[in-house]
Amino acid sequence: MLVATTTQGNLARDATDRINVRALNNVTLDIEDGDRVALIGANGAGKTTLLRVLAGIYSPTRGESYSAGRISALLDVSLGLNPEATGRENIMLRGIYMNIHPREMRSRVDEIVEFTELGPYIDMPARTYSAGMLVRLGFAISTCMPAEILLMDEWLLAGDARFLDKAQRRMEQFVGSSSILILASHSADLLHKWCRRSIMLDHGRIAATGNVDEVIAIYNATPTQLIPPQADATNSRVGAT
Amino acid sequence: MTSRWSVNMSVDLPKPVSRAEAAWTDLLEGMSKSWMWSAMAMQDIKMRYRGSLLGPFWLTISMVIMVAAMGLIYARMFNMDINRYLPFLTVGLVIWNFVSTVIIEGCQTFLSAHNIITQVRMPFSVHAWRSVYRNLIVLAHNMVIVPLVLIIFSVPVGWSVLIIVPALLILTINGIWVSILLGMISARYRDVPPIVTSFVQVLFFVTPVFWPPEALGIWMQALPLNPLFAAVDVVRAPLLGGAPLAYSWTVLLVSTVVGCIGTFFLFAKFRPRIAYWI
Repeated sequence: MLVATTTQGNLARDATDRINVRALNNVTLDIEDGDRVALIGANGAGKTTLLRVLAGIYSPTRGESYSAGRISALLDVSLGLNPEATGRENIMLRGIYMNIHPREMRSRVDEIVEFTELGPYIDMPARTYSAGMLVRLGFAISTCMPAEILLMDEWLLAGDARFLDKAQRRMEQFVGSSSILILASHSADLLHKWCRRSIMLDHGRIAATGNVDEVIAIYNATPTQLIPPQADATNSRVGAT
Repeated sequence: MTSRWSVNMSVDLPKPVSRAEAAWTDLLEGMSKSWMWSAMAMQDIKMRYRGSLLGPFWLTISMVIMVAAMGLIYARMFNMDINRYLPFLTVGLVIWNFVSTVIIEGCQTFLSAHNIITQVRMPFSVHAWRSVYRNLIVLAHNMVIVPLVLIIFSVPVGWSVLIIVPALLILTINGIWVSILLGMISARYRDVPPIVTSFVQVLFFVTPVFWPPEALGIWMQALPLNPLFAAVDVVRAPLLGGAPLAYSWTVLLVSTVVGCIGTFFLFAKFRPRIAYWI
């Protein structure tokens, strides 16, 4: 009864009366060099969970997950941003989390600082930043290093129009240089632009696979739909959590 | 629903890796990424003392105050010559501080790294190394008072003091397994950190840290059961120009081996679950 009215994965009580969540159910995928995959689904369908399994963050409780290549999982643009540390320190820290040696990160710091256009704020603690500034910082750091396998989860691009423009160009460069892209999003615009193929998840199962247009059509036929293309042009917010 | 996208059977998938192998790789990888955990630990220290007046030497100052206050009173109580008691107390407190903080902060190993663990793939042991290394840095700051105290009270220290280097190394290894073990248990059962904190506080009073082991009298026979005493003794005794009790090294090595093997077994079993627990 609960499952039928929600879009989330399956919930059940096990023998010891603990609640178990089956976020993904029987998902079998093969993604190769050059693939650009869109991950579509309602909230709670299992997109983030699948991305985490692909990134090696979650171990599947059944089955196996293999990957070859450097994975950049950009699941949350504010990854590990320490509010008490300055912007500059956060750049170095974030580089460490992304497995970039401090030596290499130091050579990229100036380029990142320039891209954020934060000016003197870069040496202020991150807690003094506005949401838009945090996004600029997070975005600049995430896109500083080319990725082989890029996993992106519903990118929140809150920012003014000028930054968005700059960000779009940077994204093109960034995505273009990656071998594999897997993007989870609710925005039809982004998906059409970046992806060729698509997977649709529903309650943790693969409900459809195929060409991005086909799958988007199938998804739009369900009660939950993607943000249609014309709405994106006027919004400064692309994608949603 | 199948498409030309179903699993490509012509691809040679690698053999599934056993949990033990995955855990072992995790430990080796974690240890090798010293640039990662040392930078993270340095940042932790920097952040901890940001905005404070004395910085990390705040701990050194507070230790001096504690030693001065306790030294005067307890030397009287235990009938020890104050010239012998003060160095004994100082060194004991410095080492106990390290050992107890490693244990208490060990509970937060994975919990405090929640943001990182759910966003980025990284060997789990990196977090344990970060915690232990951070405490080693603090220990280094506190160790500053030890040579001063030894000189002031003319403690006869010879070259045998160099044995504290392997001793600290063994303590570091113990710190790693404790951080991983307590980190995992605390990730699963959230009431473990306060229980461990209380337990360690009690241990401070029942372990010969600020009182001499001889005060135990007939109960000294039970002392080998306390590995924390062995940990303190093995570093303290050489610094005071003496030798640790006969069984201290043995107790320490036994707990190192048992701890490492036991933790490895549990780490291999539960490592895949940590990301779900936190």
